[in-house]
Amino acid sequence: MKNLYIMGTAGSGKTSVATGLALKFSREGYRVAYFKPIGNITGAFLREDEDAVLMKQILHMEHPLETIVPYIAGPSYLSGYKNHCESLKNIRKAYETVAEGNDLVIIGGANFPHIMGCLGLDAPSLAQELDAVPLFMIKINNDYSLDHAIFINNYMQCKGIPVLGNIFHNVPRPLLAKTEGIYRPVLEERGYHTLGIIPSNAVLTSPKVKEYYEVLGGEILAGEDNMDRLVEDTVIGAMTIESALGYLRRNANKAVITGGDRSDVALAALETSTSALILTGGLYPDVKVIARAEEKKVPLILVHYDTYNTIEKLSKVTRRIRAKDEETIKMTVDNIEKHVDWRNVLKAIII
Amino acid sequence: MAKMTNFFNPKSVAIIGASNKPGKIGNVVVKNMINCGYKGKIFPVNPKEAVIEGLGCYPSVDRTPIPPDLAVISVPAAGALAAAEACGKYGVKNLIVITAGFKETGKKGLELERKLVDICRQFKMRLLGPNCVGLLDTHVPINASFAAGFPKKGGIAFISQSGAMVLSILDWSHKAGLGFSKFISLGNKADLTETHFIEEAAEDPHTQVILCYIEDVENGSHFLEAVRAVSRKKPVIILKAGTSQSGALAASSHTGALAGSDLAYETAFRQCGVIRAGNMPDLFDLAVAFTSQPVPRGDRVAVITNSGGPGIIATDTIELKNLKMARFTKETIAALRSNLPAESNIYNPVDVLGDAKAERYRFALEKTLADPGVDNAVVLVCPAAVTEPVETARVIIEVRKKYPGKPLFAAYMGGPKLEEGAKILEEEKIPCFTFPEQAINSINGLVSYARTKNLSAKTELLTFDNIDQKTVKAVFYDVLKDKRLVLLGSEAAEVVAAYGIDAAPTLLASSPEEAVDISGKIGYPVVLKVASPKIMHKTDVGGVKTGLESPEKVRQGFLEIMDNVHRHLPRVIIYGVEVQKMMPQGTELIIGMTRDIQFGPLIAFGLGGIFVNLLKDVSFRLAKGLSYNEIEKMLTETKAYTLLRGYRGEKPADTKAIIEMIARVAKLVNDFPEITEMDINPVFSYHQGASALDVKITVS
Repeated sequence: MKNLYIMGTAGSGKTSVATGLALKFSREGYRVAYFKPIGNITGAFLREDEDAVLMKQILHMEHPLETIVPYIAGPSYLSGYKNHCESLKNIRKAYETVAEGNDLVIIGGANFPHIMGCLGLDAPSLAQELDAVPLFMIKINNDYSLDHAIFINNYMQCKGIPVLGNIFHNVPRPLLAKTEGIYRPVLEERGYHTLGIIPSNAVLTSPKVKEYYEVLGGEILAGEDNMDRLVEDTVIGAMTIESALGYLRRNANKAVITGGDRSDVALAALETSTSALILTGGLYPDVKVIARAEEKKVPLILVHYDTYNTIEKLSKVTRRIRAKDEETIKMTVDNIEKHVDWRNVLKAIII
Repeated sequence: MAKMTNFFNPKSVAIIGASNKPGKIGNVVVKNMINCGYKGKIFPVNPKEAVIEGLGCYPSVDRTPIPPDLAVISVPAAGALAAAEACGKYGVKNLIVITAGFKETGKKGLELERKLVDICRQFKMRLLGPNCVGLLDTHVPINASFAAGFPKKGGIAFISQSGAMVLSILDWSHKAGLGFSKFISLGNKADLTETHFIEEAAEDPHTQVILCYIEDVENGSHFLEAVRAVSRKKPVIILKAGTSQSGALAASSHTGALAGSDLAYETAFRQCGVIRAGNMPDLFDLAVAFTSQPVPRGDRVAVITNSGGPGIIATDTIELKNLKMARFTKETIAALRSNLPAESNIYNPVDVLGDAKAERYRFALEKTLADPGVDNAVVLVCPAAVTEPVETARVIIEVRKKYPGKPLFAAYMGGPKLEEGAKILEEEKIPCFTFPEQAINSINGLVSYARTKNLSAKTELLTFDNIDQKTVKAVFYDVLKDKRLVLLGSEAAEVVAAYGIDAAPTLLASSPEEAVDISGKIGYPVVLKVASPKIMHKTDVGGVKTGLESPEKVRQGFLEIMDNVHRHLPRVIIYGVEVQKMMPQGTELIIGMTRDIQFGPLIAFGLGGIFVNLLKDVSFRLAKGLSYNEIEKMLTETKAYTLLRGYRGEKPADTKAIIEMIARVAKLVNDFPEITEMDINPVFSYHQGASALDVKITVS
């Protein structure tokens, strides 16, 4: 038995594909475990690695979270961990506990493949250490995204790790033809298989309002009941009121970020398709804005950062998958069945 | 239309929350009802009192002898709902809720207001307020308000979204000596709005002129339709607050509703014949003008003055306001020449000189008012040594009696020396100001009302035969399926073409090869434009290449565009590149539309191209009820029109084709309410025909 190591950058669909594959394989009759050597904690309120929490539940794993995720590496992890050998020993021990009695283990990579490289605990090194087949996820931003994937694949080949292939995740509709017609052949030419091209699906990839709230914190002033709405776009409301409406009308299901004192922009946003209104600077809006948001049932979140810092933080917001989110979980399996060559993935690890 | 007779002329009124404590609103309302001389029955309601201000008090509304025609609720917000419900159950049909603490206070208040409206709907009650001062009518009389005092009888109905404005104006009216027919404080407009009361005032025989102070219009289409009809019967003068950027911000915080753009209000007012007042003094100057002066036949103004400077200022203002200086007939000029001193100016403005006494004014004023080329007149008086302000005032009053059909205004330019004369004029209903500008402003109001009255009320609908709604629906369906709100250029071109608009052929290519293919089909030279719903200004990101004449150029252009756009906007998803047939250069125009929150589609026409934002040479009309005549006027209002008629030897453009294009755009946006924004920029206008080059459409 081998393990499958799902690597990728932040927001590249690691969790979604891990969930889908894990459930698909267990439906095929395999005993599947999940392991995440290097976890991370997102959001302002959480204390645990969410992937581990999710997988523990959906795979009914009995191990404690500390075993499923032996390490949590924050951005200043070096102040805490120093010993490579000991760390590796701990990880291996945890892995063995998790793997015991199972047919295959899906290993979730950290936010980026290079994380904890200082201690030799980067994803390729760990894949080698844990005898896992690496699968690098590609989220296409532009042609450079493909360069990045090839670079990582090549690096692993050089280290003597056999690369399984790549999966394109969250491919926007206009890029599907290019992915199929240009990107896939480029990879194939270099001997890398494309194991799947999963098209964008807002229901699966768009963060929910509550995920924004978890990252940004603050106070919910209205629309508490609609925190599950999807946010498909963000718009910064710093324009004159004359241009605001035309601008805001161009995006659907968006989060609008504006100063708490811009009741004009806030009201204009409420006249258009808006999933959440995020008011910055800790400036309480006019009661009329709160009432209007309540009337339109749009979550109104007051954050204490200024607009710039709020926008900075937005890059940390990604869609989380939660165990009770049945529809989403079903969709991850559908994606695997429809768009991923899962049989070949399975074949590569069951040898 | 809501029948609101019982709001102003009820046979009985219950005051719920009536009180004996002086200063309490419930006490003021009862006193106001008694003191105004109301002839119906007053039922104070308060469970803790037996008698209020000498009237028998009832423990609850359903204990009054008969269901009152009108109930005024002034109990605190917490008890207001129960009171309203009791009224409904007892059969009351009209409610005034003075109580504050509703929508204006936030979330909980909003909830209360919703419940209040639900109760009213359930029992089919009409509601004024909540959070209002109430209303009064001087002719009935009734004073169901907590305003201090009662105005003089008169012909002005004042409808106000601001309660404070009602209180101020009522108090001020005593100082100004102004008479009113009605005061209505609209409050939160939870049910009845300005439009209902404008319609009501139109039917009221005592109301001559309808004045409104508003911060927003509640239901745009109801307003347009109703006021269009009313303004042909009676002048409707509106002061709309929140016109400036900061004012709009303040207004939106005040009312909690996004007011439509000021432009839309301006256009809506003009199209339905509302006279817009620029400020408070204007509003009441106009009110005075309309209650004291006839509607003029035309826009020609004569000025009679005893000094040169003020005459010139008046002349400047007349021209500035788009009025005309009257040109006298030969007979008038001859008469003036032979009877006025030689150094007088006998042409308009008529200068009767500083030594003019009352009789010289009489002569000049009589002659000019008799002239058929004069529609309005202004008399200016400066306090020279021999001036006779009082006698001159009497002369003006006498002459006016001979010519009652022509509006006549005066400006007594001075202080104590002229005070008495000015007072005499005002008592005789000749508006007298200190400076000429106000007089001319008033004439301007009268003249624009005269124009409105003369407009034909019917609007011819725009109808076309070659309209293909199916294609438009299909394109919109695809766009929404792709989870977009912004159409690609090729899709937008397809939509307008389906509505019979000449659009330059545009097709989407996703690779250089496809672009070359398409170019071959539509014919060289071609234009390439980046296709992405996220890019608003394609030229700014290097997303446009024009005049490409060979497959090689097209291939290269495609790659360059992709490169440029990626460099400017690395994260934007590009759908490909649009290939468009390169059209010959024409006059660049813009036809645009933005859907206003209150009034619906607002069509813009003007000079196009990259300078459109700079030059702002644009005219506007609401698409609802737009007629060919109006579209033609729209064209003539712009500077672009001079260009279209053939500027400096250029051939004139095909204005008919432009009008047709605007009409079709209006039809399209009226037919498809999901179109929220639309822009054709540029439209190339030719000696024959016109072509839409770049079409942008946003849907909802």
